[in-house]
Amino acid sequence: MREEIPKIKEETLSELQKVSSIEELQELKVRVMGKKGSLTSLLKQMGSLKPEERPQMGQIINDVRNDLEEAWEEKKIILEKEALNRRLDQERIDISLPGTPFPRGHQHPLSKVIEEIEDIFLGMGFMIAEGPEIETDYYNFEALNLPKDHPARDMQDTFFITEDILLRTQTSPVQVRTMEKIAPQLPVKIIAPGKVFRNDDDATHSPMFHQVEGLLVDKGVRMSDLKGLLLYFSRQMFGESREIRLRPSFFPFTEPSAEVDVSCMLCGGNGCRICKYTGWIEILGSGMVHPRVLEMGGYNPKEVTGFAFGIGVERIAMLKYGIEDMRLLFDNDLRFLEQF
Amino acid sequence: MRVSMKWLREYIGINLGAEELAEVLTKGGIEVEGVEYLNKGFKDVYIGEVKEITSHPQADNLQICTVDTGSQEVTLVSGATNMLLGDRVPVAVPGTILPGGKVIEPAEFRGVLSQGMLCSDKELEIEGVGLDRSRGGILILNSDAPVGTRLEDYLGLDDWVLELELYPNRPDCLAMVNVAREVGTLLGIRPKVSKWAQGETPTWPQAQQKVEIDNPDLSLRYAALLVDNVKIMPSPLWMQNKLRAAGVRPINNIVDITNYCMLEMGQPLHAFDRDKLTGTVRVRLAKENEQIVTLDGMERKLDPDTLVITDDNGPVAIAGVMGGLDSEVTETTQRILFESAHFLGSSVRRTSRRLGLRSEASNRFEKGVNPHWAVSTLGRVAELLVELRAGEPVSFTEKVNNLPEAITIDVYLPKVNYILGTDYTEQEVRKVFDNLDFSYKEKSLGVLAVEIPSYRQDLKIEEDLIEEIARVIGYDRIPTTLAHGSQTQGRRTPEQAFRIKLRRSLIGAGMNEVLSYSFVKKEIDEIWGSKGGGIALLNPLREELGTMRTSLLPGLLEIAARNTSRRNTDLLLFEIGNVYLPKELPLRELPEEISKIAGIAQGGSKRHWHIPQVKHDFFYVKGILTEIAKESGVELEYRRTSNKKYDELLHPGRSAEIFLNDEYLGFIGEIYPQLDAELGLQRPIIFELDFALMFKHSSLEIIAKSYPRFPAIQRDLAVVVPEEIPAEGIKKRVYELGGDLLKEVEIFDVYQGESIPAGHKSLALTMRYQSGERTLKDEEVNTFNSNILAGIQQEFKAEWRK
Ligand SMILES: [Zn+2]
Repeated sequence: MREEIPKIKEETLSELQKVSSIEELQELKVRVMGKKGSLTSLLKQMGSLKPEERPQMGQIINDVRNDLEEAWEEKKIILEKEALNRRLDQERIDISLPGTPFPRGHQHPLSKVIEEIEDIFLGMGFMIAEGPEIETDYYNFEALNLPKDHPARDMQDTFFITEDILLRTQTSPVQVRTMEKIAPQLPVKIIAPGKVFRNDDDATHSPMFHQVEGLLVDKGVRMSDLKGLLLYFSRQMFGESREIRLRPSFFPFTEPSAEVDVSCMLCGGNGCRICKYTGWIEILGSGMVHPRVLEMGGYNPKEVTGFAFGIGVERIAMLKYGIEDMRLLFDNDLRFLEQF
Repeated sequence: MRVSMKWLREYIGINLGAEELAEVLTKGGIEVEGVEYLNKGFKDVYIGEVKEITSHPQADNLQICTVDTGSQEVTLVSGATNMLLGDRVPVAVPGTILPGGKVIEPAEFRGVLSQGMLCSDKELEIEGVGLDRSRGGILILNSDAPVGTRLEDYLGLDDWVLELELYPNRPDCLAMVNVAREVGTLLGIRPKVSKWAQGETPTWPQAQQKVEIDNPDLSLRYAALLVDNVKIMPSPLWMQNKLRAAGVRPINNIVDITNYCMLEMGQPLHAFDRDKLTGTVRVRLAKENEQIVTLDGMERKLDPDTLVITDDNGPVAIAGVMGGLDSEVTETTQRILFESAHFLGSSVRRTSRRLGLRSEASNRFEKGVNPHWAVSTLGRVAELLVELRAGEPVSFTEKVNNLPEAITIDVYLPKVNYILGTDYTEQEVRKVFDNLDFSYKEKSLGVLAVEIPSYRQDLKIEEDLIEEIARVIGYDRIPTTLAHGSQTQGRRTPEQAFRIKLRRSLIGAGMNEVLSYSFVKKEIDEIWGSKGGGIALLNPLREELGTMRTSLLPGLLEIAARNTSRRNTDLLLFEIGNVYLPKELPLRELPEEISKIAGIAQGGSKRHWHIPQVKHDFFYVKGILTEIAKESGVELEYRRTSNKKYDELLHPGRSAEIFLNDEYLGFIGEIYPQLDAELGLQRPIIFELDFALMFKHSSLEIIAKSYPRFPAIQRDLAVVVPEEIPAEGIKKRVYELGGDLLKEVEIFDVYQGESIPAGHKSLALTMRYQSGERTLKDEEVNTFNSNILAGIQQEFKAEWRK
C-alpha cells in the first residue's frame, strides 16, 4: 500500500499531462478521487492498517491528494484559458462588413435653408408671418406701389387666375397684410417665407420658387440698420468672414432701394467662376419701405420708417450646397435628396 | 440700351476704360449687363470690288473671283454664290487675321491658287452690329464703301459698347444725352449736351397741315415738322456706324435721322411720306373693323382700344408702336412729315401686348418718354436734315395739352441722415445736386428746394432724392448699425412649431421630403383631388401645369414615377404643402389654402447582408403614421374605405380612411392593381392627411408618468377566429375583459395556413398585468386570463389554440 501511493501519484500526473479538455480532466479526477477512484479506495483500505500506522498513512495520502488537487487546478486554468482562446478565435468577425442601417430620412434642401433663415431671424426677435399663395392684384401689386400698367410689372411674369386674382409673384404682399393686421402697434418685425410663382422656366428660373420676405417698421429705423442686419445675416449664413455691399437698385415698394451682394464664399472675394470674377455674389434685394406702402399698411410715414428685404431661397441653397442647376431642386431625385 | 463709348465721349471726356466705367455705373445704380468690343478680333480685312466672276473648271460648287483691293487685284476662290460684279466685299489677304486668331495664307483649291478669301459677316463676327446685307453668304457692303479701306476702320469697330440693364425708374437713360449726364454725375464731370437736350424749342413758320388730337388723355402732344426737297440716300458713315453700335440697322438718311435722334434724345419719331397723307392728321381711337398694314408688312386688325394716327382715309400708323406701310418713306419720297408725339405709356403697352408687336418706340413709350422734349427733338432733326442735305425743314404745327409742370422737392437735411443713418454735411448734399446739375435754393434752415429737370420723371418725393444723395455719394458710405428700436422676442407660432415637429418626425421615421409644383395637370388632379374643383390658370407655363392642385398626390406620384424610372425603386417620400380649394368657380374671392401631408412608399429597405429586407407595405406606412400620431399626441382610427371616391384607385382590401376624434383626417392605401403599373410604379402605398386637423387635436405637451415598482406578469394567448374579424376589435375587447390590472395588449403573431381551418386565422396576443400597489399572484392572473378567453370565445367564436 505504501508503495502504491507514489505510483498512483506519478501515473495520475503523467495522465494529467495528456489531458486536453475540461471533460477529460473531470473524468480523470473521478477515476482517481471519485467514490470508486484509485486514491479513494486506498483510503478505504486504511481500516486494514494498524492503528499506529494510520495517521502517518493518512498524512501521506492527504499530501498526495493535495498535490494532485493543485496540479488539477493548474491544469484547469490552462485548459479554460485555452477554451476561451478558442472561443475568441471562433467568434472573430469581419469588421469590414457594413453596419446595420437604420432608416433615416432627409429634409429637402429648400425647406432646410428656409428653416435655417427662420432660425437666424427668430434669434434676432423677428416673428414668422404667412400669407396666401393665391393673392389679389391689390396686395401683390397695388398696395406695393405698383398700379395697373406700371412698367415695373413687366419685371415679373405673372400667372393670372382672373383679372384680379393671381399667383403671388413675391412674398412682399405679406408686408402689407401684416401691417394691416398689426397697425398702429409697433414694431412690425416679421419675416415671411413662402412659395412664389413667375411664368419662367430655365436653368436659372423655376416657375415656382421660394422667397423669405423681411420687414421691420418702427420709430427711427435707418438704412444703416438694414445694412447691419443683413451683414449679421450673411455672416450667420455664409461664415464670419463675409462682407456685404449695397448697390442702388429699384423696387416700387422701397425707396431708397438696394441690391445686396455678399463677398464670394468660394474665393473669399478674389474672383472665381461662381462670382463671375467679381468677388461678389448678389443674394437679395432690399430697401427702406416706400412712404406710400407704409400709408397703405396703416402707418404714418412721418412718424415711422421701416426697411424690407427679400431673400431668394433657391439662390442661397445653390450657393450653400454648390448646386449649379436650379432644376435639380425640383427634380426630387432620391440620389440628390439623400445628400441633405 | 447699348451705349457706344465713342458716341458717349462726344458728350463727355472720360479717361476710364469701358470696364471701369461699367463698374462706376453699376455701383451708381445703372446696372451694366455686358461690355462688348465691337471688333471680335479681325485685323486688316480690306474692302474690295468684285471685277470678275468665273466658275471653277474642276468644281461646280466653287467660283473664282478677281477682286480689286485698291493696291492690287487678287484671285480668290469662294464657295459662296451671292456676290455680283461690282459688289463691294470684305477681303482677307495673306497676313489678315480672323477672329479666333487664324492667319490667312494662300491656298490651292483644285488647281487654282486663292490669294485669300472673301468673308461673311459670320466669319468676321460682326452680325451683332446691325449689318444684314449678307444675302446669305459673303457680306455685301454699301456700294459707296471705299475700295482699299480697312473694313474695321470703315465700320468703326474700334469701339466698346456697354449694355445697360435699366430699372423701370430710369427710362431717361434710354437717351444718350442722359446717359452722358448720369456718367457726369457719378464722375463729377459736367457733360456737353446740345441746346435741344437742355429743352430749347426751335421756331418755324406755321404749317398749313392740320393736326388734331381727339383723345387728349391718351396723347399729350402731337408735333409735326414738314420737310420739302427731300433727297433719299444713304446716311453718312459716321451716322451708320453709331447706329450699328447701338444695334440699329441703317436704312437711309431719313429713317436713320429719326433713329439717331431717338437714341440721342429718347424721343421716338416717325417719318411719313407727306404726299401719301390726305387731309388732317388726327390722333384718335380706332373704329370697329379698321385695319392697317404695318411697316413689317403685316395686316393688323384694330379695335376701339387702339390709339391710331389717321388721315382723311383712315389709319396711317399705330400710335407709338409702328407706322403704316402705305405712308412709308421710299426712294422716291419728296416731302416728309416728321411726327414727334407723346402717347400714354399704359395705352401703348396694352396695344403692343395685344398685337404682339414691340418696337424701339413702343418700348420707350411704355417705360416713359419726356414729353417736354418732343419739339426740342424736332430741332435736332432739322439740324441734321440740313447738315446731311437730306431735306429742307419748312414749317411746323403742333397740338399740345397740359404738359406736367416742373416740380420742386424740398429736402430736409436732418431727414436725409435720419433715414440713411449717415452724417452727411449740407455741403456734401449740395455737391450731389451740383453733380446732378439740379438747381436748388435754400428755402429755410436745413431745407433745400430742388428743381427737378423734366428728364428725371422718376423723382417725385423727398425719399427719391434721398436715394439720389445716397447713391451719388455711394452706398458704401452708409454705415453698419444695429436697430435701436423696441426689443422683441422671436418665436414660432404653435402651428409653425407643429409643422416643423411633424416634418422632423417623418424624417426621423425614414421618409424623404420632396417639393413639387403647386400647379399640376388638370386630369390627374381630378383623379386624386376634387373633381372639377381645381383652379385653372389663365396663362399656364404648359398645359400640364395648368391647374392649382387640390391634392398633393399628383405631384408625389410623378416624383415617385420619375425616380422609379431611374431605378430608384425603394421609396419613402413625403411632402407638406398647400392645396387650393375654391369656394366657387370662377373665383370671386381668394380660395382656401389647406395644408396637407402626403406620402408615398414603395419597395422596401435597402437589401443588407445582416438583416432581412423590410417591405414598405401598408403596415410599414401605418407604423410611421402611428409613430407621428403618437409624437403629435393624437390617436388615429382606421376604417375600411367605404367612399366611392377610392373605387379603382385604391386596393379595396388594403386601404383605410383615417379618422381623428371621429373627424375625417385622410386615407392610406395601396394603389389599385394595374393602376400602379400605368403610373410607372410598383405597388406603392400612398397617404394624404389634413394638417390643420392634426394640429387642432395635437398636444405637444408631455406629462411624464412614474412606473410601478411591482413586477409585471406576462401571459400569452393564442386564439383562432374567423378571418374577417378585425384584430383591432379583438384587442380592444381583450383590454376591456382584462380589468384594471391589464396594462398592455399586443398582437405578436398572425398566422394562417396549416393546422388552421380555412377561413380562419390565428392571433397570438400577449398581455401584461401590473398593479401599482402589490405583487400580483399567478392565480389571480390566471383567473383574468380565463375570463378573457371565455369572453372572446363567446363573442368572436374564437377557439383557444393551446
Ligand atoms: Zn468667387
